Order: sequence, then structure tokens, then C-alpha cells
Amino acid sequence: MNELLKTVDLSIGYDEKAVAGPFDFPICKGEVLTLIGPNGAGKTTLLKTLAKQLAPVAGTVLLDEKDLNVTKPQELAKRMAVVFSDALRPEQMTCREAVSVGRYPYTGRFGRLSADDERIVDEAMAQVHVTDLQDRLFTAISDGQRQRVVLARALCQQPEIILLDEPTTFLDIRWKAEFLEVLKQLSEEQGKTVLMTLHEPELARLVSDRVACIREGRLDRLGTPDEVFEGRYIAQLFGLDEMLYDKWFT
Amino acid sequence: MTKTQKSVAGFSAMGVLLVALFLMNLSIGSTSVSLTAVWDALFGSASDPTTSNVILQLRLPRALAAIVLGGALALSGYLLQTYFHNPIAGPFILGVSSGAKLTVAFTMIVFLSKSRTPGSAVMVVAAFAGAMLAMSLVLALSTVVNRMSVLIIGGVMIGYLCSAVTEFLITFAADSEIVKLHTWSVGSFSGIQMRDVLVMTLVVALTFLGVLMLAKPIGAYRMGETYASSVGVNVRLFRVTLVLLSSLLAATVTAFAGPVSFVGVAVPHLVRSLLDSSDPKKVIPGCFLGGAAFCLLCDLLARTLFAPTELSISTVTAVFGAPVVLWILIKNQKGRERA
Repeated sequence: MNELLKTVDLSIGYDEKAVAGPFDFPICKGEVLTLIGPNGAGKTTLLKTLAKQLAPVAGTVLLDEKDLNVTKPQELAKRMAVVFSDALRPEQMTCREAVSVGRYPYTGRFGRLSADDERIVDEAMAQVHVTDLQDRLFTAISDGQRQRVVLARALCQQPEIILLDEPTTFLDIRWKAEFLEVLKQLSEEQGKTVLMTLHEPELARLVSDRVACIREGRLDRLGTPDEVFEGRYIAQLFGLDEMLYDKWFT
Repeated sequence: MTKTQKSVAGFSAMGVLLVALFLMNLSIGSTSVSLTAVWDALFGSASDPTTSNVILQLRLPRALAAIVLGGALALSGYLLQTYFHNPIAGPFILGVSSGAKLTVAFTMIVFLSKSRTPGSAVMVVAAFAGAMLAMSLVLALSTVVNRMSVLIIGGVMIGYLCSAVTEFLITFAADSEIVKLHTWSVGSFSGIQMRDVLVMTLVVALTFLGVLMLAKPIGAYRMGETYASSVGVNVRLFRVTLVLLSSLLAATVTAFAGPVSFVGVAVPHLVRSLLDSSDPKKVIPGCFLGGAAFCLLCDLLARTLFAPTELSISTVTAVFGAPVVLWILIKNQKGRERA
């Protein structure tokens, strides 16, 4: 398989203090790779480091064999987009404006959108079913709608890889399913790479090509859903009583 | 109304208001001058030299200063609000104006003690140094506290400290100059001369262009730092530039008119509501226009309301600006309850 992103001896953390690692694993072109594990295991920190939002404490992240640190912000923005949970609630900004922000790396000095840009915005909104919301204010929609608007913004960047941090957290069951379906389509039909963290192992099992299990700051297991979910491994990973696991999850 | 129609209407309204207020500022005062006489004075065909003197030497520079400095204040407030993602940040509230006031007062006293008057360029440089000093204190504070309300209170305290030191300096300054220093230190557009107007216009125009160049990253920054950097904004450079430009704007205002309250907080908010947009390509010029009109109105009232006694400009801006801040606070609170 073709490696798009790769961690090499990567230790991650804040203020030069490592909280997790070292990690050595590839993220392959076109796959859906999901990070799961208990809270505080370092999933989000790892995702932020891979998105270049956090500097590695040690080791490197390679994007197409090139160090992420030397990749120019503009160039990175054309290849990688993120859907994180810390979007602000800007006043008087329509959903269409929010989505258009994704064209940033492609527009000129004043950010004027060309007809092409507008078309790409239209397509991105249609793809995640938020076209109806385009004139609504970003602050006046539900959490589930906002999450899809943020995804449409990421699609506008026309990235090769999308990083998502617990994208389904605020969604009800219908929108969880729709959201994951869009991600699956992106990977299968357009060859986009999807790397995300998920709270729900059962959803990770359904949507992922591979699942990476993070436990106490280390990569504990990496493989296809069938490999990872073999036996009662998930119960061990989350420190869940095996009887409870059997009762609720099998 | 569509978005475009709304912005056209908003800009037209502000433009008309600006021109009307400008003319009123020239014509209304201790001696009332008809609009035709104003016209004659402006274009050099006045019959009466006294009237033409009042218009050209006193009222015109003062009105122009209100336009340039009012626009600068609103813009400075807008940049600080962008930086802190906080709708009630502004150069006065965060103590930046008071920092500039402190260094300008100090510079004035040093110059005056040697019987010299500092030139306007010197004043701008001194004000910029003070603004940066206060700004770095606020920024240092912002790395320790992450609650916005605490940061704002911290800024207010920094402002009080700087004002206290300024008052202290003024108290011990040479007697003859106290009156002038005192008028300036409470904020006033009076006594500004045409060559001051030239200097401030130059500085503010250049800074305005700089701010316009930031329109694109400001637009992306609206959704927060993470998203801004993920679409390719160099966040660190962007933030440094924001601080420098907003400090320079606030400093220029303070150098010429002393600290002026609430314009920086109230105007950007009013402008966003009027234009029904937070698109920086609209809000940046909108803030400048709005701030200019706002200060023209406030200065007109400051001059004429209790003539011949003149109010300090901040007295009037506070009367209009403080309710707007209260309105923002209440609105935000409601928004939070709904969420």
C-alpha cells in the first residue's frame, strides 16, 4: 500500500514534555483509519501533531516522505484539511462564508472567490447536504449541522487527507450514520484518506479500513477491524469488565 | 433585502451621515456660519477673514482630526476584537490607550521642562512605545489567564495604573502647562493644527492599507486559530501584525487627542449589525467610516452642548458607547443561555 503520512519515532506532548509515543506507523492513501482508545490516551494530541497544530516533542511526521515541519503552510493546506471540535462561533457569518474559508489556500491576496471557487463551494455543500443552510448564520444552526458545514469547508480545500477529531460526538444517530457515510464515500469514490478519532468503537468497526488502538500513550494494536476486535480485546483496551462487555457489546 | 443590497444601503447611510456631520461640524459653533459661507471659506472666496479663519484654522482641522482619529480608533478596536475573539476588547478597555497616554505625558513634560514643544512625529513615536508597553503587559497576562473576562479586567487595571502614573506626572509638572496637559489627558480634539492632521493622515492611511492587506487572514481567523492555520494562515505572524497595527492606530489617536473611550468597542459592533456581515472586506472600511461619523457627532456635541464650556470627548463617547457595550454583554449572555 501507498504511504501518504508516516510517523517516525514520533513522541508527542505539550511544552516539550512527551505524553505519548514513540509512534511508528504509516497512514495509507485512500484508507479510513480510526484511532480509538480510552480518554486521555493521547488520541487527540496525536491527531493535532499529525495536523501540524502541535510540534512533535521528538521524531518526525512525513507527508509523502517529506518532513511536515518543512512543508509550507499554504502547500499543506492544499493537501490536508481538518475537522476539529474547537470551531468558534463567529457572529454574522453565514454558513456559505464558513464553507468558503476552505478556498483560502487557492485564492489571491484579498481572498476573492472566482467562479470556479464558487462552484467548488456549491459542490462541497451539496456533497454533505448543507446547501439549504447556506444563507443561515453559522451560529444559528444545530451542532450536527455545524459539524457538516465544517466538513464541507474541509472538502473545499480539495485535500488528499482529512483529519477529524471525534466528528460524531454531538450528532444523533441519523446524522452519525450520514456523516460516516460521507466519509466512507470520500475514501471509496474519490480516494481521499480519512484519519479520525472516534469515541464509539462499534462505529469505528463499521467505517474503518484499519483501526489503531492507543493505550497509555502507545500504539497497542493496529489492524483491520476484524483483527482488532478479535476476542475481548476492546474490553481490555478500555479497561471494561468482561462480563459487562459481553452483556452490552456482543 | 439581499446581502449586497444591505451593505450598499449601510455604506450609503454611513457616507451620507459622514458628509452631513462634517458640514455641521464646520458650520455650528460659538459663531454660527451658514453652509454657503463655509463653502466660500473652504474654496477661498470668503468675504470675511474672521469667519474664514475660524473655519480653516479651528473647525476644519478639528473635524478632519475627528474623521481620521475616529476611523483609526474603530479600526484599532476591530483588530483587538479579532485578536482576542472577544467583542468587548478595545484599545481603551485593554489599557493600550492609557499606556500611550503615559508615555506621551512623560515626553511632553520632559520637552516642556526644557521649554520646547515636541513635534507630532515625536508624539506618535512616544505614544507607540507606550501602547506597545501596555499591549505587552496585556499579552503577558493573556498567556497566564485564559478566561476572557479576567483578561478584560486585567486590561482595565493596567489602564488604571498607567492613568495613575500619568496623573502623578501631571501633578508635578510645571504650572503653566498643566491646563494644556490636563485637557489632553482626558481626551479632546481641540487645538489640533493642520500640520498635525497631515501627520496623522499619513500614519493612519498607511496603517489602513496594512489592515486591508490582512482582510483575507482575518476572514479565516473568524473561525478560530486551529482552522485558520489549517487553511494556511501563518498564525504567529498574523497575530504579531494585528498587535502592531492596532497599537499603532491607538497610539496615533492618543498622541493627538489623548485617550478616547468606547469608540473602539462600540463602533465595530454597530457596523457589523448595520452591514449584517462580519466579512472583513466590508467591516474594515465600514469601521473607518462608522468611527469617523461617530467621532464627528460626539465632538460636535462635546463642543456645543454646554458652550462655551467644552466637554471632554470621552464624556460624550461614553454616553453613546457604554450602552452599546451593555447591549453586547446582554446579547452574548442570551446567546449562551440558548446554546
